[in-house]
Amino acid sequence: MRSVAIYGKGGIGKSTLASNIAAALGEMNLKTLLVGCDPKADSTTNILGRRVTPLLEVMRSNKNPPVESFLFRGVFGVYGVEVGGPEPGVGCAGRGLIVGIGHLLGKLDIGSFDFVIFDVPADILCGGLAIVVKEGYAESVLIVTSDEFMSIYAANNICLGLSSLKAPSCGIVYNKATPRGKRYVEEFSKRVGIPIIGSLPYSEELRWADKLRKTVIELSPNSGISHLVKSISLSLLRMEDGKIPDPLSARELEEIFQLLTAESRTCGCSDESS
Amino acid sequence: MYTLRDLDADVIVLHGPSGCCFGPARLLEKEGVKIVTTAMSEDELIFGGERKLSATLRKVDELFNPKLIGVVGTCASMIIGEDLRRAAAEAGVIKKAICCSIHSASGDNTLGAVAVLKEAMEAGLVSREEYSRQKHALEMAALLERTRGTARAEYIPGSPGDDPAAVGSLILRTLEGGGEVACVLNAKKETAFLYADLFLALADAGFGKSGSVHFVANLDPKIGLPRIRSYSEKILQELSARGIEVEVITGGLDEYPISGERAREVLFDIRPDLAIISGIPHAVAVEGKLRTVAVSAGRRAASNLKSLGYDYVVNEEGAHSASLGNRRICKSILGESIRGLAGGTQ
Repeated sequence: MRSVAIYGKGGIGKSTLASNIAAALGEMNLKTLLVGCDPKADSTTNILGRRVTPLLEVMRSNKNPPVESFLFRGVFGVYGVEVGGPEPGVGCAGRGLIVGIGHLLGKLDIGSFDFVIFDVPADILCGGLAIVVKEGYAESVLIVTSDEFMSIYAANNICLGLSSLKAPSCGIVYNKATPRGKRYVEEFSKRVGIPIIGSLPYSEELRWADKLRKTVIELSPNSGISHLVKSISLSLLRMEDGKIPDPLSARELEEIFQLLTAESRTCGCSDESS
Repeated sequence: MYTLRDLDADVIVLHGPSGCCFGPARLLEKEGVKIVTTAMSEDELIFGGERKLSATLRKVDELFNPKLIGVVGTCASMIIGEDLRRAAAEAGVIKKAICCSIHSASGDNTLGAVAVLKEAMEAGLVSREEYSRQKHALEMAALLERTRGTARAEYIPGSPGDDPAAVGSLILRTLEGGGEVACVLNAKKETAFLYADLFLALADAGFGKSGSVHFVANLDPKIGLPRIRSYSEKILQELSARGIEVEVITGGLDEYPISGERAREVLFDIRPDLAIISGIPHAVAVEGKLRTVAVSAGRRAASNLKSLGYDYVVNEEGAHSASLGNRRICKSILGESIRGLAGGTQ
């Protein structure tokens, strides 16, 4: 069984990526499980074609619910479960994740799956949201980032968390990739010592599929974007032991943008991302 | 919670897991305050528990028809950011609720008391002057504990203190030999009902009116909230009924760090052959300058007082729980030893 946890800045496309990777793995006839860890409980929508009742919600009325009450099967036979959590502004999402994941792994024979993907909200904000890597439920972390400063900033925070937890990352996915922004992500990747295992450009097909609550793997399996997702999925399948990242200081992080911006000015290039 | 008790709250609702309520309920219910818990479960930790708090407050209002409700946070509810005031407003009890959003990791344990007093001042239950006086006393208390109390060291091993009979014998020998003894009460609130027993014990032993005993106490009946003032009144009445007149009143029962300073000055004026200081003796810094007997509660307190340099230390184990719920002076360990050595009550 292989497993990976996907972390990245909020809104960067983690859930879209997670559901598409899950679909790609399912299409390869691998028994795949997608665990949505976001209180919004929308990670599995593209796989299952609908929103499902999250595990923690089920547990409010039944402390020991049967597997069939929270585990659902979707496209390409991919299984999906949403842990769920509180409404915005109340309660504790981290505590919810600790309890939900604990119950899930107690009830489900996780070893019977070929691949398990944990889609975790935001960056590693607190001990609760770090539980997936802290307890070793996911063997490695896939970091998702765009080339925007705040996205790389969040990616570096994730590296900080992983470094402190001594947890490995298997790679970076560069999302919303642009030719001009690429160097920032490449430089970041080089400095933290984590390879870029795939890039996904901004894609209307992905957006369209999201609107239809589907994956591009299902909707347009032969499209360019589908092949890129499949390539990332294969990289994950074949991943070796990840590496504990070397996080950058705030100064080092800013340096990446300043140096590269200065270089582009010297060579007369314009730069949208600086 | 004790400050809410002092404000005569009828019910205190602890918003947290039931385990947080167990200890305080046992002690405070002896004082006639009803203690209620929202019994937060894992569900409330995850999804928030304000609705449960509102429901609990509504039920409390129906069941007890209280005039004043204390709503107190716990670590669990405060860490997840529960809004006690919003829940009280939702339950329709905000006008008779004092909400204290504090938890055990907030800092000094006096912070909770200050927070309650501030809320009480804003609700018009306590004047600004009284709030400022108590806040100052509480800050002094926190400082005292850090500098001379059991909070001054990372670890203080417990000690049983000295044998109460041996200390009692020393006190009686001093008096019988014509020596002067100062008996100083520097107690905190209700514990005065126990420590004042030393005054009665000396009277029982025949030294209540001799003039060789100087009675000094922080029993000012004009200082503090009505409940605390009533403690002083009751004790003074009981002492007076036994013919004991307190020679110097050093302050109120809720300001032991300040009254301790005053007691120190009084002791240096009297220069007794033996000073018996009960309650919070480390607030009366006369060790090393006078021959002293310190009387306080707890093995760590006894050890701390010994290491500060008080000559004799008696551990009045369980003094706080013994004094809770009392509105008359109750028997103390040292007091009973004195009575026993003197041949019984005279």
